[in-house]
Amino acid sequence: MISALPWVATVSRLVLAGVLIVAGWGKIGTPVLSVQAVEAYELLPKSLATAVGYGLPILEIVVGVLLVVGLLTRAAGVISALLMLAFVIGIASAWARGLRIDCGCFGGGGQLAAGVEPDYLIDILRDFGLFGLGVFVALFPPGRFALDSVLGLTPGEESYDEDESDDEELQEKETY
Amino acid sequence: MGKAGRDQSARDRIKAQREEQRQREKRKRVATIVTVAVVAIAAVGGGWWFAAQSSKSEEAGGALAPITVAADGSVVMAKAGVEKPVLDVYEDFQCPACRALEETSGPTIKNLAAEGKAKVVYHPITIFQEQTNKGITRANSLRAASAVRCIPGGAAWSVFHDKLFKEQPSELVEGFKIPDLIAWGKDAGVTDPGFEKCVTSQEKAPAHIAYSTKVMESQKLTGTPTLKLNGVELDPDVAFKPAQLRQTVLDAAK
Repeated sequence: MISALPWVATVSRLVLAGVLIVAGWGKIGTPVLSVQAVEAYELLPKSLATAVGYGLPILEIVVGVLLVVGLLTRAAGVISALLMLAFVIGIASAWARGLRIDCGCFGGGGQLAAGVEPDYLIDILRDFGLFGLGVFVALFPPGRFALDSVLGLTPGEESYDEDESDDEELQEKETY
Repeated sequence: MGKAGRDQSARDRIKAQREEQRQREKRKRVATIVTVAVVAIAAVGGGWWFAAQSSKSEEAGGALAPITVAADGSVVMAKAGVEKPVLDVYEDFQCPACRALEETSGPTIKNLAAEGKAKVVYHPITIFQEQTNKGITRANSLRAASAVRCIPGGAAWSVFHDKLFKEQPSELVEGFKIPDLIAWGKDAGVTDPGFEKCVTSQEKAPAHIAYSTKVMESQKLTGTPTLKLNGVELDPDVAFKPAQLRQTVLDAAK
C-alpha cells in the first residue's frame, strides 16, 4: 500500500482547514458585511443571501475545525469541496458580468485602490486548487493524526479475509 | 462428535461472536458519528443565530434631533446643548457597505442623537475615483451628494439621506438620476423653490469634491463607511452591531 497517501491527505486537510478558519474568522465579527458581500454577487435572493451571510463564516470555521482534528473527515472534505466549487462558480459569474466585489469602499490606499480591478483569475485558481484538496480528502480520509481513526470511525480499514482470520483465531484457541 | 464437528461448532460460535462484536462496533460508530454531526450542526446553527441577533437593528424612534448643515457641508444632528460624545459618520451614498451600515445601525445613530446621548456629525463624501467603472460610480455618488447639499437641514435632510441609501444603484450602472433626485427631495418634504435648479445644475458639486478631498486627507480615511467616536475610529464589529455601538457610545458619554 502506498504510505504517502495518508500524509498527503493530512497536509490537504490542514491547508484546507487553515484557509477555511482564516476566512471564517475574518468574517465572523461583521455578519452584516458578509451578507453585503454575498448580495454583491447578485446570485441569491435577499433572504437567502442574508442566511448565507450569517451562516457561512461559522460553517467555514466548524468545517475547518473538523478537518484539523480529523473528525467526520470524509463529510468535511465533501462540504469543503462543495463550498470551494460554489466560490469558483460565484467568482467566475461575477467576473463574466464585470461585477466589482468589495467589502467596504476604498477610494484609494485600500484593498481595491482606484482603478484596480479585483483579480478574479487568481481567486478562481486558488479556490479551484482548494476544491482539489477537498476532493482528495473526501476520497482518501482520514489521513494521519485523525480522531476518526482513534474513535474507530473508519470502517473498512481493517478489512481482511474472514475465513482465513477465523481459522487463525481457531488455531490460537486450540493451542491453549 | 468428531474433531471436524467440534471444529465446526467452535467455528460457528466464533463467527456468531464476531458478528455480534461487529454489530456492536457498528452501532457505536453510528452513535459517535451522529453525535459529532449533531454537535457540529448545533454549532453552526448557534453561530448563525448569534450573528443574526448581533445584527438586529433598533426601531427608529419617531422624533429626530435637530439637523443643521455647517458651512463646510458636514451635517450636525444633535439636541441643543449636546456637545459630546461626537459620533462622526463618513459615508458615500454610492457605497454598498455604507448602505449596509445605514440599514443596520442607522436607526441606532438617529436614536442616540434624539436621546441626547451623542452629537452625530454626518460627512457625506465621494470616495470613488474617476477610474472606477469608467467614472459611472463616481458620477452617481457626486449627483447624490450634490443634491443632498441643496437641502439646508431639518428632518427633510435625514429622510432624503435615508432614501438615497434605499435607492442606491449598482456601482456599474448610471443611477441617482436628476429627475429621481428631485422627486425624492419633494417626497422628503423639501419645499425650497431653488431645490430643483440646485439639483439639476449640480452647482454644489465643486464644493462637495473639495470637501471630500479635504476630509479624506485630514481624517486619513481608508474607506467608507467609517465611524469615529470622539475622533477614534470604531471597529467594524462595533459599528455594524447596533447593541454594541449603542453601548460604546453610552460608555463614552459617562
